Amino acid sequence: MTGYVVRRVLRALTTLLGATLIIFVLVRVVPADPAVTIAGPKADPETLAAIRKDLGLDDPVAVQYGRYLARLAHADLGRSYMTGRRVAGVIAERVPATALLAATSLAIGFFFGLALGIATAARRGSLIDVAVLLGTLIGLSIPGFWLGNVLIYEFSYRLKLLPLGGYGTWRHLILPATTLAIGEFLFYTRFVHTNVGGTLASDYIRTARAKGAPPARIYFVHALRNALIPIVTVLGLDIADLMSGVVLTETVFNWPGLGRLAVQAVFGLDIPLVAGTVLFAGVLVLVANLVVDLLYGTIDPRVQRA
Amino acid sequence: MPEAALTGLGSRRRSRRLFAAGGVLVGALALVALAAPWLTAYDPDAIVVASYHGPLGPGGAHPLGTDTLGRDVWARLAHGARTSLFVGGLAMVVSFAIGMTVGLAAGYFGGLVDAGLMWLVDLVLTMPSLLLLIVLATIFPPSILTIPLVIGAIGWTTFARTVRGDVLSLRERDYVQAALALGASDARIILRHLLPGVLPGAVVLAALRMSGAIVVDAGLSYLGLGVPLPTPSWGRMVSDAQTYIAVAPWLVVAPGVAIALAVIGFNLIGYGLIDLIGERRT
Repeated sequence: MTGYVVRRVLRALTTLLGATLIIFVLVRVVPADPAVTIAGPKADPETLAAIRKDLGLDDPVAVQYGRYLARLAHADLGRSYMTGRRVAGVIAERVPATALLAATSLAIGFFFGLALGIATAARRGSLIDVAVLLGTLIGLSIPGFWLGNVLIYEFSYRLKLLPLGGYGTWRHLILPATTLAIGEFLFYTRFVHTNVGGTLASDYIRTARAKGAPPARIYFVHALRNALIPIVTVLGLDIADLMSGVVLTETVFNWPGLGRLAVQAVFGLDIPLVAGTVLFAGVLVLVANLVVDLLYGTIDPRVQRA
Repeated sequence: MPEAALTGLGSRRRSRRLFAAGGVLVGALALVALAAPWLTAYDPDAIVVASYHGPLGPGGAHPLGTDTLGRDVWARLAHGARTSLFVGGLAMVVSFAIGMTVGLAAGYFGGLVDAGLMWLVDLVLTMPSLLLLIVLATIFPPSILTIPLVIGAIGWTTFARTVRGDVLSLRERDYVQAALALGASDARIILRHLLPGVLPGAVVLAALRMSGAIVVDAGLSYLGLGVPLPTPSWGRMVSDAQTYIAVAPWLVVAPGVAIALAVIGFNLIGYGLIDLIGERRT
């Protein structure tokens, strides 16, 4: 077990290093001159040169990358060009909103998806099977940002039940969380339905049935346990996609989270803020995947030996 | 949503029907895109109302109404189909090319090459794709060419993983082993023996990647980072119209339905193909 954990952690760390390199390279090639962004277009050349020197933009690239890594190790993500505030602080402020939205939607979507997926898994080849596969396929084709707008029209404008955007009370959470949760729900319904269905069709389940094991035991002990492995894997992969969905949903509903922060930073060409947000999101996904990898080893001991 | 959830639709008969339905949808879409100038009397960028009194509702001379600037919505929608299909198609081709190359190389050469390339795949999968796209879209000034290239440069990981997996199992087949024993060159083995074997799986992914790229493109243009104005794009139509959703909901509905139909079409083709190809293989 220890060897497995060490390997996984090492892999996560090398991926993290790669992520910092990607972000560093991307940020280096952004055409906007940071000095101009800070001092404004009318600044004289001496001021610009001073700012460049101050930011260390004249040093060799390798030196700059080393310095960037050293700062990261101290959780120093630099200062925002637009506001001059510490990027780490700005991000920390936005985390609760995003965490609330993402966690609520994922929890609701995953729970109901799991429930409906299990409930319909045994109905292979029936009309219910067709309905689940076709319904989720069509539902998943609807873009979330559009669905959000439709919900706003229906519940905010027409029925005047819920606020059309913003943050603060639980009523603000309902529409954005529903928008994201519907996508998650459809995805997990489909995935659990096919996977548990596939497991139910396998030989060892037939053996268990032939031995006269009670249906509940076959379902939850035999079938679900094995189907859980791909479900947990896909849960880890889904975190990165959930972050993408969050960016759009936050924009639709004016939700003050990391996604909107990133979009605003991009429009303001606020490079440290963009880099910080993207890196932070990357770390979130990495941690989620690491947790999944470790869970995986617990659910299925065979994995550890691989 | 992760494309890892690739499973067919069950029966072959069902798959054939869904594939046909997808073909009809995509065919209709392609037709609209190709024939856009002849399907509408209006220029998509021109203001077509004589005097502006707010957006016109659907009906009469403007089947889908006019937008907040007084342009014909159907004309913009039909021309938007060109944008969507072009961006989606080019992005898919780019992803296909990168993913095939990486997957074939990783699976065939194995060892360090494999480890390095799969590390790269993990890395790209780790970064939330939309955020990476947003960053890339700011670095490369958005245009009808850079947008699909950028989308394609991020969406190749599923191709690479699937192709690599297929290569690993194909490598063990007798005919590949025989070719290796005969001393065939790497290029010959990859191109003559492995490539044909991995193509069916890659074709399924191509259809699904197409729908994925159309969604991503719509999301980017919704954020204002897509193909720049005045090129009509469906995502941009949604974001332009959302402020007026209370007075002119059709402006939001029309492009949303268009995006959904395009995505459903390619998804039906992709998921339909899984079983159709799978059965022929065995």
